[in-house]
Amino acid sequence: MKLLRVLSFCLIASTARALEVEDFFDRLDNTLTIAAFEDNLRARLSGTIDLEAYHFQQPAPGLIDSKIDNLFNPRLTFFLDAQAGSQIYFFAQSRVDRGFDPSARGAQVRLDEYALRFTPWDDGRFNLQVGKFATVVGNFVKRHLSWENPFVDAPLVYENITPINDKEAPDSPLDFVRRFEPASKYEFNPVIWGPSYASGISISGRLGRFDYAAEMKNASLSSRPESWNVTETDFDHPTFSGRVGFRPNQIWNFGLSASDGPYFRSEAEQTLPPGRSIGDYRELVLGQDVSFAWHHLQLWAEFYEARFEVPRVGDADTFAYYLEAKYKFTPQLFGALRWNQQLFDNVPDGTGGQLHWGQDLGRIDVAAGYRFTSHTQLKLQYSFQHETSGPRDDNHLVAAQLTVRF
Amino acid sequence: MRHRLAGLNTVLVLLPISVLAQATVEGRVELPKSHSPPVMVKRYEIVTRSGGVLSTQPPLAVVYLVGSFPKPSSPPMRQIAQKDLTFVPSLLPVQVGTRVEFPNLDDTYHSIFSYSPAKRFDLGRYRPEERPIPSQVFDTPGLVTLRCDIHDHMRGLILVLDTPYFVVTDADGRFRLSKLPSGHYMLKAWIDSKTTREQSVQLTGGETLHVDFP
Repeated sequence: MKLLRVLSFCLIASTARALEVEDFFDRLDNTLTIAAFEDNLRARLSGTIDLEAYHFQQPAPGLIDSKIDNLFNPRLTFFLDAQAGSQIYFFAQSRVDRGFDPSARGAQVRLDEYALRFTPWDDGRFNLQVGKFATVVGNFVKRHLSWENPFVDAPLVYENITPINDKEAPDSPLDFVRRFEPASKYEFNPVIWGPSYASGISISGRLGRFDYAAEMKNASLSSRPESWNVTETDFDHPTFSGRVGFRPNQIWNFGLSASDGPYFRSEAEQTLPPGRSIGDYRELVLGQDVSFAWHHLQLWAEFYEARFEVPRVGDADTFAYYLEAKYKFTPQLFGALRWNQQLFDNVPDGTGGQLHWGQDLGRIDVAAGYRFTSHTQLKLQYSFQHETSGPRDDNHLVAAQLTVRF
Repeated sequence: MRHRLAGLNTVLVLLPISVLAQATVEGRVELPKSHSPPVMVKRYEIVTRSGGVLSTQPPLAVVYLVGSFPKPSSPPMRQIAQKDLTFVPSLLPVQVGTRVEFPNLDDTYHSIFSYSPAKRFDLGRYRPEERPIPSQVFDTPGLVTLRCDIHDHMRGLILVLDTPYFVVTDADGRFRLSKLPSGHYMLKAWIDSKTTREQSVQLTGGETLHVDFP
């Protein structure tokens, strides 16, 4: 209640004094930008303060890790962007929060992203990047940060936990399907874990109406945040991913993505069948994405077919997609709607039959956002998730997110 | 009849004088120190423009004459372009009632908006070939900060003034404001959103007054 009062006061104050607030943040921006060597070396420190509140049913949906129905999740994010001449660009992202995904755990500090990019030609035909950074796959990464994302959470494919467990191989097909428990869901993996800030190297560029990107990372798209650090996972079993984009004009953008790499962590080695290694079990992802933008309307869609090679089971296939729309009703008010679905295939049960390896589900997300100033934004979201197979559990989620960026 | 001719002579003689009677003010505004050029954020996209030093203008001031002046017979039209991921010009003074067009000269989307109390608008995303060129009428005096929803580093300013007599200084702060009416006025120098200096001036037709804003 106290928090609500504080929030209300901040919002009223920021609206009433919008000009002063804007001016303050613009001056802060100037102060946090430094330059040297006749402006050839410039660096800018910026960030966001996110105050998130969730109310949901148990088990908590997506990657939310909480045994209680209400969760307050504050987050402080710092960004460093630096440019040396026209060819060297460096960026880093560090967060203080209660976990990479919303959780009831204690505070932690992480360095989520850091990358050095070399751009030899000004036309952007080729870029080389090294570090720990978001995947090149799909089109969600560009809007995954709280200020750009019209919703509080990510599309279903980036956060819906599947029976895939990267720490332990299943004993049998039945074990694979039945060992999944929502209570211990953090032991399991989605198809793509958030923006997948794994470590590695990438090349990218733009050639006329086409753009390309390819990366070699130390962990697969489904890998958990702990696996993304190069100190945790080396490059013995790299994942290769790529995307080719076609932009016929500014309105449309089409992309084809693919990713292939082993998804087990090193501790799973001893649970694999004799004579097999981590490199034998791969996650293969094929993706198609499209985006559309025209005046105040923006549309995005992504379609993913994923295959996990599962020890003692075979190939476990799943298909996930979402359709998302955002519309600005006024300069400050926008609404967004997203339909998500994930469907699971059958796997052999070992006795000649078939087993459905996950619960098919659909989720609809509705959100509204209001920008009080160009530095303050409030978003409200309601989501309804319905399982169309298995126990057919439903889940309602209400979320609010106040973002102040500087 | 002689009286009439004498009157006509007076008018003919006074005509060039009335043109000459327009006053001029020139001088210099002490500008603040130039701050660091912005850093373009390009973490998750390929930026095909040069990522080097952006072509931002140094600090500039707007010098304008305050008084009660007639409104323009037809609304003036001005332009601020989006070129090379910057606003050109980055500072535009306009008279109240001016329509400003925002042509997109880049090969990428821009999404220009302002939350300033003097003018709130959002043009959305539009292409270079968009016709008519998206525009807004600025009908309330004040400062309007332009931003781009896609390119965070882009900033532009429109200073909406209730006077037809204004000029932007050069990078050294020098200005020359001519064709001014005679009389007693307040001359102001807008330097930034927090700083406006002013001096009262007595303008006399045909004369040039020197005014500095230290």
